[in-house]
Amino acid sequence: MEEVIAILCAIIGLPWLIMHYVTKWKQSPKITNEDERLLDEMYNLARRLEARVETVERIVAADSPDFRSRLTSGDDYHREIGLGDARPSLEKHADYRPAGRN
Amino acid sequence: MAARTTFYVDKQNKKVSGVCAGIADYTGIDVTVVRIMMLVLAWATGGAGILAYFIAAHLAPTKPTGLYQDQADAKFWQGVRANPSRSTGEVRAKFRELDRRLADIELHYTSRNTRLADEIESLR
Repeated sequence: MEEVIAILCAIIGLPWLIMHYVTKWKQSPKITNEDERLLDEMYNLARRLEARVETVERIVAADSPDFRSRLTSGDDYHREIGLGDARPSLEKHADYRPAGRN
Repeated sequence: MAARTTFYVDKQNKKVSGVCAGIADYTGIDVTVVRIMMLVLAWATGGAGILAYFIAAHLAPTKPTGLYQDQADAKFWQGVRANPSRSTGEVRAKFRELDRRLADIELHYTSRNTRLADEIESLR
């Protein structure tokens, strides 16, 4: 009796297990060559841009020492300036430009 | 450019034919763990594992040198092979973070100009 169970396991159970994982692997999301090329380009672009932004941040921090401390407490900074959004609106600063030139 | 989403036999880190090193490179699992698992599988299946190993070694292409720029690049592509949509999400998150940081720099300069303008205004 035990031999029958062992043989059944080997003949039916094992291929079943293997086929189960093969079908799962086939169904998993795949990307085409074109997608892969695009993703590679995007990823490298993101890395290059990050390096550039880090350089610019260092330059800005060297230019004005209070920039770094603000970066760490970003939320407080935006509230202090009076902007809910991180993006400064152009209209707000347009008013100050003539004053700046005088 | 060679594809990064195909299975390669890793001849540079091989012990026998480089299939285990290739699996480790493909999945990101430690190569020693893969080798132990392969030995256990070969023992459990009684020779079929060894046969599968040599079939894989014969069929899979050899991994070209310089496929990845560095360790971070290799890790990224392991993530892509495991789950492409999560990796694209990560790249998008990176772009958003860059956008936010650039906006911070922009805000820093624009707000500093307004402060300077206020000071000039008060001096007049």
